[in-house]
Order: sequence, then structure tokens, then C-alpha cells
Amino acid sequence: MKAKKLGLLLLLGVTLSLVSQAQIQHIEMRVEGMT
Amino acid sequence: MKQHLGRQSGVQSVEVSLIDGKVQVTPKEDGRIDPAQLIQATYDSGVSVAEMQMTARGKVIKDSSGNLAFATSPNQSFVISQNELSQGLEALAGSTTVITIRGELYKKPPGKKKGGASAPLKLTILEIQNKR
Repeated sequence: MKAKKLGLLLLLGVTLSLVSQAQIQHIEMRVEGMT
Repeated sequence: MKQHLGRQSGVQSVEVSLIDGKVQVTPKEDGRIDPAQLIQATYDSGVSVAEMQMTARGKVIKDSSGNLAFATSPNQSFVISQNELSQGLEALAGSTTVITIRGELYKKPPGKKKGGASAPLKLTILEIQNKR
């Protein structure tokens, strides 16, 4: 029973980490007309 | 402009360099930021965007029209412009491989005085930083 719960937790952790892996990390813009 | 950009959703911090006209935007940890919204917000503050680049992690997918696209979240993706680097990504389309890329999302067309992206942003891959 414990092993089953651990397995489910592990699966949830892996799923969440995969979702959080995809993202925009940084944006850089070059702008004109700034004073 | 700094304050205006800082108020956009998903923005954690904004750094502006007056010397070289560069604006660095760091998204919040969830990375849910909309580059098109940033271009619009910059334009609304009276400044035009000449170029926008992003560094992002995501997956290569084929969108509903069959175009190669880069998905940074389940509901955000950018169509990839074809170049030498994009050809190497074709094989990853639909796979679970997560890659980190640096790419150009917007460049003001030559001769156009005012910036502002009217068309959907297209991603030109400049560098593939890692594949997992």
C-alpha cells in the first residue's frame, strides 16, 4: 500500500516537473525612441 | 516604460539600459508571460521595439495547421521560421524532448518608422542551448 502511494507521488512529481520545465525564461528587447 | 512593462502580467522585473536601448524582462517563476503584450505595452508607452529575443524552454510541436512550432506552455506556442537550425528540430516534433532555445520573436521591418507587431510573432531560432 505504501509502495503504491509512493509510486503515485513520484508520478505526480514527475508530471509537475515536466509541466514546469516549459516556460519563457528571459526576454530582451532593443527599443528606439527612448529618452 | 519600465513601470508600464512591470505592470504586465507575468513580469517579475524589468531592467532598462538607456545607453544601448536594451530592455531586459525577467518573467515570474511560472513563466506565463505574453511577448506580444510586452511589445504592445512598450509601444503604448511611446517607444518602438526594434527587436525582441527570448530564451525559453519548451517542446517542438506541429500546430493545427501543420506548422513547426515551439510550445512554451500548453496554451502558448510560436510558429518557427525555417532556417538551418529549425531543420534540425523537425525530428523532435511531437516528442517529449524539452529543449532550451534562444530565438528572435520580432524584428522591425527595415524602413518602417513605427514598431509594433501587427502579425502573430514568429520565432527564428538563433541558438539551441540544450536538449533533454
